[in-house]
Amino acid sequence: MIRLEKVNKYFYKGEPREVHALRDIDLNIEKGEFTLFSGPSGCGKTTLLNAIGALDSIDSGQIYLDDKEIGSLNEEERTRIRLEEMGFVFQAYNLVPVLTVEENIGFVMRLRGFSDEEIKQRVLEVASMLEIDNKLQTLPNALSGGQQQRVAVARAVAGKPKIILADEPTANLDSKNSKALMDMMKELNKKEEISIIFASHDDYIMENVRRVVTLNDGRIVDV
Amino acid sequence: MFKLIVKMAWKNSFLRLSRTLLVIIMIAVSMSMMLGIQGLYDGMADTMIDKNRRSGSGDVSIFAKGYRVNKDLQYRIKNADELSAEIKKIEGVKELVLRVKAEGLLSTARKSSFASMQGIDLRAEESFGDFSEFLKEGEINLEGQGALIGLELAKRLKVTIGSKLVFSTQDSSGEINSIALRIRAIMQTTNIVLDTNAIFIDAKKMHRFLGTDSSEATQIAIMTADKKTNDLLKANFSDLDVKSFLQLQPMMKQMQDVMIIFNSITFFIVMTVVFIGILGVMYVSVLDRIREFGIAMGIGMQYRYIRIQICLEALFVGFIGYLGGALLGALFLLYLRDYGLDLSAFSDALEMWGYASTIKGTIKISYFTTTFAAIISASLFSVFIPLRKIKRLNPIEVIKAEK
Amino acid sequence: MFRFALKNILFYRGRSITTFALTFISTILFIVYVSMMDGSHKSMLENALKVYTGAIEIYHKDYRDIGGNEYLIEDVKAITNKLSTIKGIQAYTTRYETYGLLSSKEHSAASMLAGIEPEKEKDLSSIARALREGEFLDEDSGNCLYMGKGLVEKLKLKLGAEVSFIGSASDDSFAAEIFKLCGVFKTGSSEFDSSVSFVNRTYFDKVMYTDNKASYINIKLDDLDNVDQVNEKIINILNDESLESLTWKTLMKTMVEAMEVDSIFGYISLALFLVVIFFVIMIYGFINVSSRIKEFGVLRCIGLCRADVFSLLFYEIVILSSLAVALATPIAAYICYYYSINPIVIEGMSEMYKDYGIVSDEIPFDFNLLTISWNLGVIYLLNILSVIYPYFYINSFRPIEATRHV
Repeated sequence: MIRLEKVNKYFYKGEPREVHALRDIDLNIEKGEFTLFSGPSGCGKTTLLNAIGALDSIDSGQIYLDDKEIGSLNEEERTRIRLEEMGFVFQAYNLVPVLTVEENIGFVMRLRGFSDEEIKQRVLEVASMLEIDNKLQTLPNALSGGQQQRVAVARAVAGKPKIILADEPTANLDSKNSKALMDMMKELNKKEEISIIFASHDDYIMENVRRVVTLNDGRIVDV
Repeated sequence: MFKLIVKMAWKNSFLRLSRTLLVIIMIAVSMSMMLGIQGLYDGMADTMIDKNRRSGSGDVSIFAKGYRVNKDLQYRIKNADELSAEIKKIEGVKELVLRVKAEGLLSTARKSSFASMQGIDLRAEESFGDFSEFLKEGEINLEGQGALIGLELAKRLKVTIGSKLVFSTQDSSGEINSIALRIRAIMQTTNIVLDTNAIFIDAKKMHRFLGTDSSEATQIAIMTADKKTNDLLKANFSDLDVKSFLQLQPMMKQMQDVMIIFNSITFFIVMTVVFIGILGVMYVSVLDRIREFGIAMGIGMQYRYIRIQICLEALFVGFIGYLGGALLGALFLLYLRDYGLDLSAFSDALEMWGYASTIKGTIKISYFTTTFAAIISASLFSVFIPLRKIKRLNPIEVIKAEK
Repeated sequence: MFRFALKNILFYRGRSITTFALTFISTILFIVYVSMMDGSHKSMLENALKVYTGAIEIYHKDYRDIGGNEYLIEDVKAITNKLSTIKGIQAYTTRYETYGLLSSKEHSAASMLAGIEPEKEKDLSSIARALREGEFLDEDSGNCLYMGKGLVEKLKLKLGAEVSFIGSASDDSFAAEIFKLCGVFKTGSSEFDSSVSFVNRTYFDKVMYTDNKASYINIKLDDLDNVDQVNEKIINILNDESLESLTWKTLMKTMVEAMEVDSIFGYISLALFLVVIFFVIMIYGFINVSSRIKEFGVLRCIGLCRADVFSLLFYEIVILSSLAVALATPIAAYICYYYSINPIVIEGMSEMYKDYGIVSDEIPFDFNLLTISWNLGVIYLLNILSVIYPYFYINSFRPIEATRHV
């Protein structure tokens, strides 16, 4: 489903502070896989995640999403890919403060043009899966950290994306909430057959994913 | 410590460069536009008042009692030359001219119009009010049949340099008398009464025409050094009709007052809006850094240092905005003063109202000083609310508080 | 995006209230100021037009520029017969004007003396209604003179007094006559009142040899707004290159220009207020956006495109401005309407500014829905322009950069 071929990414290219963040990355991720990118700080896991998520451009190589090359697309095309094919969960929950939980979850679907009925139904479905269906009319600032992160996951999943990308999703959570979130993600992976890629150094996640890709200094050292 | 505070204030002022620059640009643009408009309006009013004074009544004018109401030659000052010698001795009297005026009919071969002919002494008028500055076209020369005509009167009669005219009026003996004249120059004084009605000839010729004595005059116009001199003249010549410029031209006073009121209202509104702009930015800037201030207070920094820092930040932004506005404003005002605003496309209309077609502005130090005071005040007042917010906070709450 | 914009407005109350207040104030200021300016200009023009000048006047070419008796209109009757066939003309009259010296027993003064058709003149100008003493002229007035108050005072006359006139007739011969003062008028225009007198044409034509001649023909229209169309008809029907038919826009060109100059200065002052308000609205919009960079970054990451960002900012400003405008416009419109019917009176203003053609102490406002509409358009435009910089600012961040913004 996702194929990377000889992907390279530089920061500050040509400057004295140049960083070769990704070096000749070759990687395949199949549909329905639950993958973790791990490695020490600065190894390039977030950069790799962003490249796969069409959030950032690459300097050389190709990235294919279902045989469609996405590495060389322009900003507008990448936005469309992110909207229709992907879901994102960030470290700091990044919910829209003025929208209720229900509106936050349904936001991506609304952008994609789903009807009110479809959105309502899907939101209920996802919220109950993540056990936040009793908080639908609440604003984000009234939720706990764990609840906010679950809302973020619900938002990512609601549009039935092909792939969910999560960058350090449990970094701001306590161990109980981290475990709960992880379990829910596994559930989603099984039920919805969504591919999930995490970038994290959480040990619990490492123990519970199907595949771990270890990076170091921009290279894949272990798959 | 103070040096550190100043450094912190300076760096924090430009932490959000776009935001700070926007405020600076707002202050600079608003201020320069406001100064330009003030200078232009004041310039218009000042020019008009100055030219009216110089071409008309001066600072004080003396008439025989009853002249201003009746406008009749029988109400002329009979011993004007003796009076002027006496007046010149008074301290504070700078310049003086005698004028003799008669109203009548001015005709060309094809057109006629009501007009007011004035007998003047060119040399005296030149010292009195730089008369030659009013020249619009031609050459100032009253020899022979020479006459100078007001711009609007010339337009009405469709005359140009060299045109022949006849002026008819009742002379001092009550007889209708006429005099042939030739236009040598067209004058634009921006004194609307003169520009629309006046024709000037040599005083001696006027006396001969009207049958009056050269020691007589219908008006003695005086330039004085100060108001004290005006009051002295009024006291010394109470048997005559002594009136100041503003008494003779109350419209000028009103125009001045209206300009002051208008400029004040404009200033107040603009500065209020500028204050709102600075307030918004300072408030958000402080709110963005509330954790930082909380931590600082938590580790022992006194509130007064935070107050000084924030005040300095507001002052830096206000002052830089002021400098930008002052520079732009000064350039604008200098341009307006030296080159003016060219409205020659509307010259007919402007001349009808007594304005030159290029409107020149003026520069006054007070523009810059009052604006400086206003902007600095606005900057300082703008931090009042954010400072109150910081003062009321518990450092621990602030550290914990989410943005 | 609309609902999202609404929620943002309610959530970020400080910015919303400030933007609302600034738009509200600028809308009222703009509408009322323009209304006052337009109203006073219209009033000045109407007052000047009412006194004596016609909506359309027909002259012999060069009469106005060169003047003189050789440029009088000949065979006036033929022209007026043609005018009777034109739709849109309510009334017309012929006038013969000349200058001369009027003298009482002891005083003389220059005057314009105009031969008029009294009955027609009643419909065309306000000089009959300006009567203050005595009576207006009629067809049988004979040598009666109807004189301006300023001139009466200059000549120190009483009703019934004799006044001699010296001038030149239409054949350039010397003309003299004794008239009797039968009526005194005051129009309020000081220049007019101190230099003009009227006499019955029928009588005056004999003195001046101006039978079937005129200085010009004065025309009143059914509807002043059709002046250009009617003038076109007149030109076509007259079909005479030696004649020119001029509308009040040309006849009062200088005054119209003067109004334009006054408007320019008025708009310059207004522009200052609007520029300052625009900047502040933009700054508040910018602050609002810059404090949500992270939020926008996340939204861009999850699929919000640039067009949606613009829509969001656009909706926010349109909602705020619409609310402010919706509240301000009726208030401002009512103020304009009220003062259009009950003008502001500044006592002594006409006396003070008489030299500038001000004849009335009243400053009426102009209530015009079209003017109000374009005023609102300008306010909306400024508000919409204020989001352009914030929009470009927010889009200058790459999505992932924005999510990490501190």
